[in-house]
Amino acid sequence: MPKMEELKAKVEAGKAKLVPGLVQEALDAGNDAQSILKAMIESMGVVGDKFSSGEVFIPEMLMAAKGMAKGVEVLKPLLAGGSSTSLGTCIIGTVEGDLHDIGKNLVAMMIESAGFEVVDLGVDVPIAKFIEAIKETKNVTLVALSGLLTTTMPALKATVEAIKASGMTGFKIIVGGAPVTPEFAASIGSDAYAPDAGGAAVKAKELVS
Amino acid sequence: MNQRENFQVMLDGGKPEFIPLYMELYKVCLLGANQIDQPWNGGLDPFGVNWIATKEGVIPEPNKFLFDDIADWKKYVHFPNIDTLGIEGVAQFELAGCNRDEQIVNVFSTTGLFERLAAFMGFENALCSLIEDPESCQEFFEAMADYKIACHNRFIEVYQPGIITYFDDLATANGLFMSPAVYRSLIKPSHKRIIEAVTSRGVIFAQHTCGRCEEIIEDYVEMGVKIWNAAQISNDLEGIMDKYKGRLIVEGGWDSSGPVSYLGASTEDVIAEALRCAKQYGPKGNYILVPVLMNEKGNSVMVGDDRLGPMIEAWHKVNKL
Repeated sequence: MPKMEELKAKVEAGKAKLVPGLVQEALDAGNDAQSILKAMIESMGVVGDKFSSGEVFIPEMLMAAKGMAKGVEVLKPLLAGGSSTSLGTCIIGTVEGDLHDIGKNLVAMMIESAGFEVVDLGVDVPIAKFIEAIKETKNVTLVALSGLLTTTMPALKATVEAIKASGMTGFKIIVGGAPVTPEFAASIGSDAYAPDAGGAAVKAKELVS
Repeated sequence: MNQRENFQVMLDGGKPEFIPLYMELYKVCLLGANQIDQPWNGGLDPFGVNWIATKEGVIPEPNKFLFDDIADWKKYVHFPNIDTLGIEGVAQFELAGCNRDEQIVNVFSTTGLFERLAAFMGFENALCSLIEDPESCQEFFEAMADYKIACHNRFIEVYQPGIITYFDDLATANGLFMSPAVYRSLIKPSHKRIIEAVTSRGVIFAQHTCGRCEEIIEDYVEMGVKIWNAAQISNDLEGIMDKYKGRLIVEGGWDSSGPVSYLGASTEDVIAEALRCAKQYGPKGNYILVPVLMNEKGNSVMVGDDRLGPMIEAWHKVNKL
């Protein structure tokens, strides 16, 4: 099997420990860093689709993302400006009043694996912190807001409204979480909704392309 | 029939006289769980995990883990001495004034095997560990099951419950956290021991699992689970009730992620949801309604809610069978 194919297969299979070595072998075989990165992003797209369709579960997706992250570490010194991405930066966080982070973390990983830089603000993030991060971060193309609880849906709405009212532009807002529906997402003024982490990565790419 | 007699008919797969409301059927005892697993008001649990209190309940402090590598669990997990946890005192307090002729004592046992692993090392580490080091995970689950069994035995002695409700959230809104195969190989053997230790003493085992977990309901029933609690509508509830009538009672049915559970849902909406549950699930006969009303202060069951009274009134009036 050619090195690139083997690399893609191992990323998809979540063989995290093997990925860095295979990235190095792919480089040694004459492949350039951008092509290798692109191949891994494609693999993560496959993993995301498999997750969305129920073919693989969260642990497998996490392991694939872990593998890709290790592979990117090998590539980073070789990528232009040390950047691994071309899709811009995503600011992500769980809105104020909500401490849940599993969904947010999965989305962050998948969005990063899709080719974004990710700035993760964590959980229970006040509106002001989102706005400050958008202001102070270069090349923000996406803001992702998460909320698991029905009781924090008003905070999702307030955060979207405040970001829109800030006058800052050049990015899209995506929201998600168990109680969030496409209708709710549209009603609060967000640009997109995704039902799961795999879908979020696909939607994120669509939004910024 | 009183609540207890009616419940027994449901358990046996017969036609009940009425469909119960969770809070009327049970005397819920949750302070034992406070002592052994998760402090309801936040703070350190007996293992050293810090819990944060929120309106919705408690949650392990985010990003603060006891250990990162499951292979190290023995270094960090020190099982508490059950004699020192004060279970007897809280049981005495909770059982004061309990009418056992009418209500069934239902003791909560929170933070099941998987939830405990996640509390120790975070969801991502816990989930990756299932794939990266299944042997250590299995060893951990076996040891934690021993602790849970010892706690449950003490609960049975001091509370003399009709039911123990064991909480382990294994699913998201869309599906299981891990594949059914991983659940079956790593968690289920220890889970089975926990269930058998309760049922072998004549106590009913209720399993709380939120989310879409229908893929492992068969496993639950096979192991001796008699009640599935927190049954959410992302599962095929009617199909499950039909399939397991006489073997499983379903508690839940409320659209806990939908508009009726949003803050500010009207009393009319709440009543309409209760009536939907009555009409859709009541005729199955193996169903108990668990309303999930959230307000600014938290869960209505704990903090009260003006909408609860009219909803209960409507529930009692409607023909559910």
